Amino acid sequence: MTYKKRKSSIDPVIIVTLGVVFVAIAIALFVFQPNLTSINFASGSGVMSQLIVAFITGITTGGLSCLAVQGGLLASSLAHQFEQDYLEQIVKNKRKKQSSASRSNSAFPIFLFLVAKIIAYTLLGALLGWLGSFLTLSPMTRAMLMIAIGIFMVGNALRMFNVHPFFRYFSIEPPKFITRYIRRTAKGTDTFTPLFLGALTVFIPCGITQAMMATALGTGSVAMGAALMFAFTLGTSPVFFIVAYLTTELGSRLEKFFMRFVAIVVLILGFVTLDGGLNVLGSPLSFQNLTRNLISSENISSSQANSPQVIADGELVLNVNNGGYFPRTLKAPAGKDFTLNLVTDKTYSCARDFVIPALDYYELLPDTGIVKVTIPAQKSGSTLFFTCSMGMYTGRIVFE
Amino acid sequence: MIKKTFKIPDMTCSNCAMKLESLEDTLEGVKEINASYHRLEMVVEYDESKLTDEQIITAVKRKGYQAIAA
Repeated sequence: MTYKKRKSSIDPVIIVTLGVVFVAIAIALFVFQPNLTSINFASGSGVMSQLIVAFITGITTGGLSCLAVQGGLLASSLAHQFEQDYLEQIVKNKRKKQSSASRSNSAFPIFLFLVAKIIAYTLLGALLGWLGSFLTLSPMTRAMLMIAIGIFMVGNALRMFNVHPFFRYFSIEPPKFITRYIRRTAKGTDTFTPLFLGALTVFIPCGITQAMMATALGTGSVAMGAALMFAFTLGTSPVFFIVAYLTTELGSRLEKFFMRFVAIVVLILGFVTLDGGLNVLGSPLSFQNLTRNLISSENISSSQANSPQVIADGELVLNVNNGGYFPRTLKAPAGKDFTLNLVTDKTYSCARDFVIPALDYYELLPDTGIVKVTIPAQKSGSTLFFTCSMGMYTGRIVFE
Repeated sequence: MIKKTFKIPDMTCSNCAMKLESLEDTLEGVKEINASYHRLEMVVEYDESKLTDEQIITAVKRKGYQAIAA
């Protein structure tokens, strides 16, 4: 009789779980709609690409990483609370026969916990973006910040791989009074507790969350920092919700299993950020600049790589597209000034934020139009690197 | 009350330290636990008339870690 009754009704926890997943997907689709036709990290908008990467990172490695470090304490304390609530309800239900109501009560605190977590991290992202805006006074400062963030991420990945005891110092230990306070608050049983705990998770971020926070700092924008952390935390929510409800044991098991996977992702993101920083710095040692010679020599027949360029009156043209700069290598006469025409045509990606680090030149180009830049005379054999302000798209001018 | 240091070689992050510090709330006789992921150790201040090293090591093991009395 009891079995029959349970089978006929849908578990409210499943409904809420599916709800969270669908809401997460719906919001993601809504947010990323302008870019849906071209979800391409190489050619899409830089901002949208960052948000998509943040969301995907959240829904995959971020969720698991959060689970590993926060799930062990907070989810288990919540689960314990639910267990108690459930047992209390069972005693009551012997009279009232309302078992389904008790289950919905147990799912609700996790939902509150995640909502509070999303809000707290979005606000944190805004704060980090705001702080970052003071640091991003120039492309050079941004480059230094990106390099520092890259080193932090790579150091954290090496820590996770347990390469050397030194790398343990890349993990930030929250102050004891905070961890003690969180732990003791977790024992509460009212509705306010999960909300409060969700907000408090900002003080115990996992490794990949710390990396994402560093990225939010690097955006130098309140809106972008908030959007980045929102996308990331939203992504982490479905996994966190499901596992927080299912079991507490899974947390410690997954922690060991996924640590290396998370480390690999952080390592890759770290190197990408580091390389972006080197690009914005105009360093010939960046991966893109080091490999450019190799790639351009292999594609010697490519018309865009070796052609063009000299136009009438000693002017050169550089097309600034959503996918970067074309041609990627310009050849210019040495020993005399010339004008570089930067041509945009419905360009909305970060390629618009054009930087020539060696000349300390920075310009936000119009989405459609031509901007003329006077390039001073350079020695024969020298190279000027140019890049977008995020170090994603690069190119160079070779003087002959 | 005495203070004793235990090496915890299999801590993987600073949150492991937090998990170990939660033993403060469950182990009778413990006054304070300070765990550090950076040093891979935890310092336990406890009443030796109420608690033994072995009991601490067992409690740590239940949390999923190995403790070695330093």
